[in-house]
Amino acid sequence: MKPSAISDMSIPVTPGSSRLAWITDRIDLVDGLRIAVFAALAITAVLTPGFLSVPSLLALLTTLSFVGCVAVGMTMITLSGHIMSFSLGATAAAAAVAFVHVLNIWGLAAGVAAGLATGALISAAQGLIIGSLRANPIIVSIASLALIYGILNLLTGNATLDVNSGSVLAAAWRRPFGIPVETLAFLLCLAVGQFLLSFTIFGRRVFLIGSGMRSADVLGLRVWRSVTAVYAWAGLFAGMTGILLATRYNQANMEYGVGYDYDAIAAVLVGGVAIKGGLGSMWRTLAGVCLMATAQVVLLLYGFRQEWQYLIAGLIVLLVVVLQSRRRS
Amino acid sequence: MKIFSQKTRPYLILLATVLVLAVIDRGRGNVLSGATVFSALQYLATLGPVALGLSLTMLVREFDLSVAGVFGLAGCVAVLLGGDSPALGLAAAVLAGAASGFIQGLIITRLQMPSIGVTLGGLLTTIGLAYVLTGNQSLTFDNMDLALFLSARIGLFTPRSIVALALAAAFAMALYWLWIGRDLIAIGSDRRAAHTAGVRVDALMVLVFTTSGALAALSGALLSYSLASASPSGLSEVLVPATAAAILGGVSLSGGTGTPLGVTAGVLMLGVLRAGLNALGAPPFAHDMSMGAVLLAVAILDAPGIRAHFERLQTLTRSRTETQAP
Amino acid sequence: MNSLLSARDLTISFGPVQALRDVGLDLRPGEIQALCGENGAGKSTLIKVLMGIYQPDKGVVEVDGVARRIDNPQHAQQLGFALVAQELSLAPQLSVLDNIWLGDRSVPVFHRRKALREKARRALETLQVDIDLDVKVADLSIGQRQLVEIARMIARDARVLILDEPTATLSDVEIEHLFQVLRKLRAQGHAILYVTHRLGEVFEICDTVTVMRNGAHISTGAVSEVSREQLIETMLGRSFSDMYPQRLPGQGSDGLSVTGLCIDGSFENVSFDAPRGKILCLAGQIGSGAGHVIRAIGGLAPLTSGRMFLDGQPLTSMSRGSTIAFISEDRAREGLFDRSVVENLVAGQWQDHSRLGVISWTSARRRAAELAASVGIDARRLAANAFDLSGGNQQKILFARAAGGKRPGVILMNEPTRGVDIGARSEIYRLMRDLCARGYCLVMMSTDLEEVVGIADIVVPMYRGAVVARYEAEEIDISRILLDITHPRNAGEVVHEAVGH
Repeated sequence: MKPSAISDMSIPVTPGSSRLAWITDRIDLVDGLRIAVFAALAITAVLTPGFLSVPSLLALLTTLSFVGCVAVGMTMITLSGHIMSFSLGATAAAAAVAFVHVLNIWGLAAGVAAGLATGALISAAQGLIIGSLRANPIIVSIASLALIYGILNLLTGNATLDVNSGSVLAAAWRRPFGIPVETLAFLLCLAVGQFLLSFTIFGRRVFLIGSGMRSADVLGLRVWRSVTAVYAWAGLFAGMTGILLATRYNQANMEYGVGYDYDAIAAVLVGGVAIKGGLGSMWRTLAGVCLMATAQVVLLLYGFRQEWQYLIAGLIVLLVVVLQSRRRS
Repeated sequence: MKIFSQKTRPYLILLATVLVLAVIDRGRGNVLSGATVFSALQYLATLGPVALGLSLTMLVREFDLSVAGVFGLAGCVAVLLGGDSPALGLAAAVLAGAASGFIQGLIITRLQMPSIGVTLGGLLTTIGLAYVLTGNQSLTFDNMDLALFLSARIGLFTPRSIVALALAAAFAMALYWLWIGRDLIAIGSDRRAAHTAGVRVDALMVLVFTTSGALAALSGALLSYSLASASPSGLSEVLVPATAAAILGGVSLSGGTGTPLGVTAGVLMLGVLRAGLNALGAPPFAHDMSMGAVLLAVAILDAPGIRAHFERLQTLTRSRTETQAP
Repeated sequence: MNSLLSARDLTISFGPVQALRDVGLDLRPGEIQALCGENGAGKSTLIKVLMGIYQPDKGVVEVDGVARRIDNPQHAQQLGFALVAQELSLAPQLSVLDNIWLGDRSVPVFHRRKALREKARRALETLQVDIDLDVKVADLSIGQRQLVEIARMIARDARVLILDEPTATLSDVEIEHLFQVLRKLRAQGHAILYVTHRLGEVFEICDTVTVMRNGAHISTGAVSEVSREQLIETMLGRSFSDMYPQRLPGQGSDGLSVTGLCIDGSFENVSFDAPRGKILCLAGQIGSGAGHVIRAIGGLAPLTSGRMFLDGQPLTSMSRGSTIAFISEDRAREGLFDRSVVENLVAGQWQDHSRLGVISWTSARRRAAELAASVGIDARRLAANAFDLSGGNQQKILFARAAGGKRPGVILMNEPTRGVDIGARSEIYRLMRDLCARGYCLVMMSTDLEEVVGIADIVVPMYRGAVVARYEAEEIDISRILLDITHPRNAGEVVHEAVGH
């Protein structure tokens, strides 16, 4: 067998040599498919009786925001070429506990700061290990998962921590301008995340490292700094989820955020962020989060029970991962 | 043979764990008792086969996240189909696990995909399947006789732990005596070289993922039988300990090292740790924390960057002494 | 005597490139035949055809007089062909015994057999090597590993051995041992195809020599009937084209100066001065350490000892970042990012297009356009992914990036024209001259002698981790350099000196 000319991308594809290659070079089939799925789902959703009611939409917006913030953090990690973290859900729980604890002593602002800082620090420590020692990100995150739960258990005794004043936010603040506060927070995270990625030196380095770690080393970028920052931001966004959950339920416990890692990576991949890193945006993640949440609601409205959403989420992720492989690497 | 080597590491860690726990116990006999051995073996019964399968994928320098999902799915399949004939349920569960591994293995080799991505999809899909099959309910298994039989004590053993030990022994022998073991090490140690030398890399990789799925499924099914129940959630807490056990058992993330006996020692170490901490009256999270800490330590020691840092440090100290010398 | 292996009219093309043109080869039992030629002459393509990795478009391979189609490497192995490639195919974590039988399809399922062990032991005995069958390959030296690889072939009854540059990474003692082994195998009736461009070895060990050039067979003859000079002439063949731009006059000033660079096990006591406005080229083969020297200067490998100065100022890891750029021979892994051309061009200089960490895309795009224009990349390709560009254009991106600093510094290059087609090569060479004119200091490494002689102002030949000589301007002569990097006359002294210091 001779090596095919197509596999060597430095050779330009000459017209006529392979029509199919010519077409696939210009149209990204995966993105085309993705847009088609989005459109189909949007139409189905609008046509589904009960979907377009205000309470239903508000509920949808609220629930997707929790996973959404974790997904924003996960996007950072995936883009930087570190695939995913298994500890962001646990980070959210830790942030929730820190938030409620500090809130009870020093008030809301200090609580938010404590929650975000807790998330950022827990995650940055992992980033430092991964970035400077090049330790396996998956294993580090799995070990951190066990450690975080262990420490949380030690500190809280697996008890639920209640907000002393009974309620974090006055009723009026739960829906400023008629939009759930969770959604506003999620949109803020998205905007901050996208700003970081598109308009800061840090963001450019995330893409560079994600699309060529060795090249970044050779270029003389201090990769470990950027990777630590990536994980710090990821932890901060996950911390936001913890704060939102605690605000919603006016308490905090270790169970918060369990399984969010999987939902978040599913959304990130479905939206079209490349699993090998270096390609994607927060908008894609937003699309992925919306798609997964909408599909879930639509399935529910059509009488499919909740369990189907898990299966469909899994199949979609598998499909997306497989389809991504067909692109040039 | 050297006493301190990569090969003896898991057994030494196991021994050290026992010693440390015994010393903390100060001879009260809480730790060094039959109960500790029994519960460590029970831990092995659940986790051993999963860790074994996972370690096979790590041996060829891949990683099978889906074992956690397959483990839960197999329990549900076995309970659902095993009502009349437990053997049928078990067979169906193992077959489902093998099929899941086979498909993922095919995707990984044919499309040359990183296994983390593919098995992440596999993990989510198998978890989803378990939810759908059970209708998001906890299932109970009516055959109490079987449940009692599987949990019956035979000395320090139960049928389940005997199965796990037998599997470990069988794999240890197979990997030693058959050329498959040699070829797997070759693939994990240098895949290109193995391929050039004529090893059937792709076929063996598919076999490894199939085996990994089947082993996780077997373990999950037997656990569900012995608990007389299965639920789609709650059974999936095996990924962290299985990874920890494999790594403690001498399997390297960079591939090519690790033996079934070492992995078994790794699982036993975690089992002894848990049972021992329980016996000492430590809170339940102590086990989680120590496991996480150990796993993190090994991840750091195994990191490729640590050598570079070490070399740089050496060079720095050397140049410093050189400038001081003249 | 009849030929063991006989190939005729082998032709193969990859796209528009004809890699082999009507190549023939005859190998007899008990013969060591040298296969010589420059980089790109088609030697490795020929080997791959013989081993069944490529299928020729045209031509036949006859084994024992019977025409055969060689489907794949396994098939080649069954026919009795064995290749010892430069990259060995041993699994470091396995024992010597396991490696000898690794991948052999005739081994039974239960592979721990006395007979197999005995056969492996005999193979090692044939080679007169004292290696324990149960020791891990990871614990062996490179030379020992190579012998294990040869033993593997002997144990599997190979009759035709193909050795691709076997001595590139071996020490003198190891080479001597290898030659003894090869002579013994020759006496036993094996046929050996010995691929090399170390001419000394051709005369030392080979019976016949075949020369290839530009994918064609040039000549085959008995070694005893050719002289070293004739052989060099046949290998190089053509005169230099006008591919290389004019050298710049003048002395050059200051620049990079290194003294006593050393990395244990790689190179020792390397010192040279590379003035600004000149191209200094380290010439050497694989294993000469020249590539490692460049990487070490670029800060990619920690030095054991040595000092570096730029314009008289000592270089520290801090000052190095802004003044030294390194262009790797492995562009895909160690150079380019899987992003647009714009982002690849400005990758290292976002600070210059930002305020308080917030970047300005307009400024960055303008800079990228300037850089692209300066190296001749089509402005329309700026938005394309860098990996979609040709090898030549990819290399231009790296040049533009390296030369994008505010003040001219040092540009280090390993094999700057690897994977770059002939047309784009001359453009790259012109770029290098432009950089000289702008006051850059260029230090490169190449294994391609024609390139070395064509482009360099100063040539520093290296042999086994040591600098052998230094030639400037008129002193640069291809046959002298070839001698230096293959079997230097004064190698002994140099090594002695290096150790003495």
